[in-house]
Amino acid sequence: MTMRDDVENRFPGGAEGLGLAGLMVLQGGCAAFFLGDVVTDFSDIGHQVLFEWHLVLELLASITLVLAIALEGRMLMRLIRRQAHFRRGLSVASGALHDLIEAYFDSWALTAAERDVATFAIKGLSNAEIAQMRGSAEGTVKAHLNAIYRKAGVQGRGALLSMLVEDLMQEPLIAPQT
Amino acid sequence: MRKVKVWDPIIRLFHWSVVLTFVANAWAIDDESKLHQQVGWLIVALLGLRVLWGLVGTQHARFSDFPPSIPAAMRQVQDIATGRLHHHIGHSPLGAWMIYALLLGLAGLCATGVMMTTDRFWGIGWVEEIHEALMVVTAVAACVHVAAVVIESRRTGVNLPRAMITGTKVMPHDDAR
Repeated sequence: MTMRDDVENRFPGGAEGLGLAGLMVLQGGCAAFFLGDVVTDFSDIGHQVLFEWHLVLELLASITLVLAIALEGRMLMRLIRRQAHFRRGLSVASGALHDLIEAYFDSWALTAAERDVATFAIKGLSNAEIAQMRGSAEGTVKAHLNAIYRKAGVQGRGALLSMLVEDLMQEPLIAPQT
Repeated sequence: MRKVKVWDPIIRLFHWSVVLTFVANAWAIDDESKLHQQVGWLIVALLGLRVLWGLVGTQHARFSDFPPSIPAAMRQVQDIATGRLHHHIGHSPLGAWMIYALLLGLAGLCATGVMMTTDRFWGIGWVEEIHEALMVVTAVAACVHVAAVVIESRRTGVNLPRAMITGTKVMPHDDAR
């Protein structure tokens, strides 16, 4: 089945994802190094450390690096999620559709697993197929779907789909070229 | 529930011995003391045992059971991003990378540590600086390792710390394979 090939025979994240992950590891190493220096100096000279400008700089640098790593982690998760759900994620149309779906998921506060299940359900996969793709039991998929319907305030799969279709018919999928 | 024997006694002995000796040498024992060197040699012996066991040991102890693989690691990141659960019996792909990073960090610490005791490198600045930098990076990596074990235990529902004590992973019901 092609959907399965989609997800399993590809390198998740691709070169872009790998670059991001590599950057995170590198920055983690730098942050560790700066933090280590601050800790060593702190144990050497105590609270006076706060008046040493280069230590304050190091502390700021490591905090900034940790924040950057967290942001990159979020970007990586979004990137990989998009690629896991849309093979041709670079095309304008699927990008717009994905943004629309993601906006709905955000407003319903779906978990990562629920987003995954909801996307597959929208794509028309059966519960058994979704369970197989996710490596989980069918009962778990049903539980996820019930949570999705409850959060979205719809009765079932059909209502979920028609909600999206309604939005798509109101707005053009491809943004007008300016 | 499915119980799987994963970590043999040698793996567990190695793991907890390294925890003990590394923490002791990094914080408790005076760097200049003879004891610091003796504990260091103990770590050299433990690493030797682990490498040997990685070649001839039990199934999940072997390096061939957890090769460093970027695609496999990214698939695990995808599982995390999409909330999917594919259970790994031995080391997970991201875990494998951490094992190699920690082993290399320890090996580097041992190498620079031994160098400092030789006439040729005694008192040479850069050897000592590398030794100290490696200590910090390895310690931070160990902290990330512990955090990741807690996060992955919660995500997958498999109690990983308990598996490293008892040697047995208890896999949850929700397991298609």
